[in-house]
Amino acid sequence: MRFVCAASVICVLASSLPGTEKTLRPANQRFADSQTSEVPDFQRHVVPLLGRLGCNGRACHGSFQGRGGFRLSLFGYDFKMDHAGLTAQSSSKQGPRINTKTPAKSLAILKPSLEVNHEGGNRFDLGSWEHHILERWIAAGARGTSAPRELKRLEIDPKEVVFASQLKSVKLRVVAHWEDGTSEDVTPLCRFRTNDDSVVTVDNNGHLESVGAGDSHVIAFYDNGVASVPVMRPFHTVKESIVESPNAADGNTIDKLVRAKLNKLGIVASPACTDAEFLRRVSIDVTGTLPTPDEVERFLADKTKDKRRRKIDELLERPAYAAWWTNKLCDFTGCNPRQQAELGQETSVQWYMWIYQRVKSNIAYDDLIEQIVLAKSRRSGQTYDDYASEVSAYFRLDSPSDFSQRQTMPHYWTRRTMEKPEDKALAFAHNFLGIRLQCAQCHKHPFAPWTQRDFQQFSALFENVKYGVVPAADKRYRELAKQVGLNVRGKNGSPIRKDVLRRAQDGRTIPWRELYIDRRKAAASISLLRSDVVQLAADEDPRVQIMQWMKQQDNPWFARAFVNRVWAGYFHIGIVEPPDDLNPANPPSNPALLDWLADGFVERDFDMKWLHRQIVSSETYQRTWKPNKTNRDDRRNFSRSIPRRVPAEVVYDGLKQAVAATDNLDKVRTDLTRRATGHLSMWLAGTYGMHVFGKPERALNCDCERINQPTLLQSIFMHNDPLVEQRLDESGWITEISHAEKAGDNLDRRQLVKTAWLRTVNRPPTTSEIDRANKHLAKVESLEEGIRDLLWVLINTKEFILNR
Amino acid sequence: MNQISRRQMLKVGVLGSGLSLSSFLRMNAHASEEDKGRSAILVFLGGGPSHQDTFDLKPDAPAEYRGQFSPIKTAAAGVEICEHMPRLARRAEKYAVIRGITHNLAAHGLGTRYLMTGNRPTPVVQYPMYGSVVSHEFPAAKDLPSFVSIDRPVEGPGYLGAEYGPLSTGEKPRYGQPFRVRGITLGDGLTIEKYESRRNLLSDIDKAFERFEDLDDPVRGLDRFSEQAYRIISSRRSRNAFDLTSETEREVERFGRHEFGQSMLLTTRLIEAGVRFVTVLLEGWDTHADNFNRLGRELLPRFDQSMSALLDRLQEKNRLDSTSILVTGEFGRTPKVNARVGRDHWARAMSSLLAGGDIRGGQVLGESDDKAQGPKSDGFTPDDLAASFFKNIGIDPKTEYQANVGRPITLIRDGAPIPGLF
Repeated sequence: MRFVCAASVICVLASSLPGTEKTLRPANQRFADSQTSEVPDFQRHVVPLLGRLGCNGRACHGSFQGRGGFRLSLFGYDFKMDHAGLTAQSSSKQGPRINTKTPAKSLAILKPSLEVNHEGGNRFDLGSWEHHILERWIAAGARGTSAPRELKRLEIDPKEVVFASQLKSVKLRVVAHWEDGTSEDVTPLCRFRTNDDSVVTVDNNGHLESVGAGDSHVIAFYDNGVASVPVMRPFHTVKESIVESPNAADGNTIDKLVRAKLNKLGIVASPACTDAEFLRRVSIDVTGTLPTPDEVERFLADKTKDKRRRKIDELLERPAYAAWWTNKLCDFTGCNPRQQAELGQETSVQWYMWIYQRVKSNIAYDDLIEQIVLAKSRRSGQTYDDYASEVSAYFRLDSPSDFSQRQTMPHYWTRRTMEKPEDKALAFAHNFLGIRLQCAQCHKHPFAPWTQRDFQQFSALFENVKYGVVPAADKRYRELAKQVGLNVRGKNGSPIRKDVLRRAQDGRTIPWRELYIDRRKAAASISLLRSDVVQLAADEDPRVQIMQWMKQQDNPWFARAFVNRVWAGYFHIGIVEPPDDLNPANPPSNPALLDWLADGFVERDFDMKWLHRQIVSSETYQRTWKPNKTNRDDRRNFSRSIPRRVPAEVVYDGLKQAVAATDNLDKVRTDLTRRATGHLSMWLAGTYGMHVFGKPERALNCDCERINQPTLLQSIFMHNDPLVEQRLDESGWITEISHAEKAGDNLDRRQLVKTAWLRTVNRPPTTSEIDRANKHLAKVESLEEGIRDLLWVLINTKEFILNR
Repeated sequence: MNQISRRQMLKVGVLGSGLSLSSFLRMNAHASEEDKGRSAILVFLGGGPSHQDTFDLKPDAPAEYRGQFSPIKTAAAGVEICEHMPRLARRAEKYAVIRGITHNLAAHGLGTRYLMTGNRPTPVVQYPMYGSVVSHEFPAAKDLPSFVSIDRPVEGPGYLGAEYGPLSTGEKPRYGQPFRVRGITLGDGLTIEKYESRRNLLSDIDKAFERFEDLDDPVRGLDRFSEQAYRIISSRRSRNAFDLTSETEREVERFGRHEFGQSMLLTTRLIEAGVRFVTVLLEGWDTHADNFNRLGRELLPRFDQSMSALLDRLQEKNRLDSTSILVTGEFGRTPKVNARVGRDHWARAMSSLLAGGDIRGGQVLGESDDKAQGPKSDGFTPDDLAASFFKNIGIDPKTEYQANVGRPITLIRDGAPIPGLF
């Protein structure tokens, strides 16, 4: 399969650069002299020049209603439209925009040079190379571009910039390599951008100036290409700060790759966290669950050297691991009760349980996604009647069939928000490729390589994925509908409502709409985001080929998107941040690390547990949150653990577990049917508590929907919400204490205090904490009251609500 | 005024002096009790109200541009607004109309971010919403939230950090239904003494991040929010502020029975109680279709009634001079009416209102061209509007903050207060 480098960041690192072809000198040199014989090319020179001069920006002629009667495509790359715009009859009295007979009289030259009044001000001076490009192009007939030339690769030099103490300024050089083998130095025709101007600034000509310590990227845009260069300035003098940790030699690959980056920045990583911190952190991150007091004590008492490794293995085998990561996969795939085709709650629970069964058996990630992507309602050869009775049986009250045993899961495609091919394209790119195509729906993406054509092609792919009533089954569908009293409007059938569902619950067959592959208008040849081209027959299921493409070893996004999201689940940020914006203009903070994880994941057949195990086994993951003097300001390179608020579901379950009766603790921990990370995940979606703590609605194509920031409302909730009071009121543990107290039992206060700590912040209290707690217990009327206060206090500590 | 810059906080946190961040904040919040400083209201007309059908009518433009509404004269000479706002017309001396505001972000998300921060959005720096800046500069008295968003927050605290985010009520008050912000009223059987004693125990025990309270955003945010939550929950004043049942039926009617009216009534109560910044939403202005029915029958009459009531009430309570009010959407709408009798997104021209504080009312500043397509001359930017709003609140728009990107950032880098406004 041919692999064209659209994602230049990834490619530049992976491929060696051929240096044999002769590269054209930059346009500002070639056109410095007005007498040059070279004819500028519309695509290669004129449109990029208009972009660089800002003509096609949103404020100017790129606006959807144009400006001064002249409109260009926003951010360029619509050559037909731009050429038509430039050559159209101007309404101005001051003459034509383009005058091929007397080029110097063209408004396209007179206005931007302010020879004629121009609202957009002076863009270039007469006699400049910019002027010469436009004038030469006009003089030669102002020819447009009928078939755009393919840009193969945009190469940026140097490959990396590390500002040492003396070095303050660097000049970039950008070379465009075209499919036809030619190449040109396009530095003066690029747009440049810095991703962090507190680290580095860049001017129009590609001059970098170091501003402060840290690391970021400078991005160059030209044609539909994007290239980036990492720029660093060490926080500390590298020589002084590099101290190899004692067991660096046998550290795992993640640690080596992280350390390599830290070394460049003069950062020493923080040492390992305590065992108690590790246990709490890894339990939350792997299983969405707090450890129980027994578990904490056993782990702390264990003196064996490999106890962390064994704990990791144990956690990955727990059903709670599957539950928590199913919850995350429901985030990633957009499982939202309010967007389902029908029966939102039931459908979402099916969706959750279907994924859960697969994560639990550790099915390969690509297989899991394939069974979603290739979903159809009917198995091949299945009749409509058989299908309708199969689906009805999932809802039967008397021994229902198990939806999660279905080979595929069609709900992904049948959501009301997935009706149009464009909606499918946006969701698909975001969910499985970590790509945001939104901007390209209407214009060239300003900060990514995507053009409108890329978006249109990708959308067209899904043209014949349909949901409704298959014409051939229409008769049977309507008969069934009549039998059960379903009112059908329109030709695409109707959603099942609760009253009709009751028939199915009673064991009858009701009519379901179905997900099927229609015939597209004609066979098509479609580009997959310029990374591959597929040939589709008219009646072909387009998803088969896109799935094959995603599973390819060299697919630039599929594995990376998932690996990066999983990483972001274990740290405060992704290697690419935001984690759902894989885009050459938003490069990874540590490309070697992302590559290694993605490659390893693919090589191990998309084994999700392998990925989780690699990450949590690393020193990088197991570091303390406490900074040293070199890494206080580093938040990008994983040199320490940065505290995160625990997710909404974990708060909910953690509160329940903290107050549970002693002999019920294990059940509360393990009974997934009663946990917000488990079966309640979808039932609780949208409730007040989940909303306050930022469980995502999954209504947008954005990972940012899940909020892990503290807010005032959360503190008010923890202090005084009726739900928190109810938890304390109904606490099995407090009831136990109350009963024992009333029975006159001699309770060990010290032990109770210790248990309160173990239940909530999952570590034993310090001596001074015990003393302070005892002081309080002595002050109140009953032990019951004192412990109740203590639990309230502990769940209100930062240590409880943060995962550090 | 006590301005707590992040840098000051860092100094306190890092250099020690034995002062924890929360006690430092306590000190500051205490200090602010004596200051009778200013407050502010943002009325956000979400969706992008059509400027030429509200405050910038073009009766002489061709029919396909001017639309269906006519302008009416107002109490201020030379100021004309849409016929569907007769009450506001009578009160024109109380506000200034700003026309010819122009930008180029005609998407809801980006436009909102721009208008709510006065800084053009970039992918690297998240600028703070007005209310976050105000609660940073003028924290409210210790038993009140500084910044309240009725319903949902409009934009976030950005680089100032989560602790300057709003208390959002989660819903709008509805006529005839009890409104309470869950958790603000002490639960049954929980006395204030009990709450205080728990709180004391918490202060002594919550020390896991001692010496590093200033390092990470979530830690800093939790400290501040926990402190604030305590003060708010234990305060009678705060409960009263949110309690609409203490208003007379006549007052409830004056603001209007609809959610927006009730939200505006709550807004004034909060301001009167001493909340520093309130955001209130009136959404539905994204009229790609059926623009004139939606504006003429619903949005404009509601806005007219509740906005007028708000201005009157603040004046009656002697609060108008100390309360700065901004009314704005995220952009204007296309000059030409489209085939669905709607107007689409248009950022090159929009209009806003400024009122209260030192604003000289009864005037129009700025001008759009004859078809309301763009500003007549240079126009104003959202940055200028923001600089004006901040100036009216008493915050220098050129204030520098130490952002989490590690360099000082000017509050409003590119804008300047609109001349003639004060």
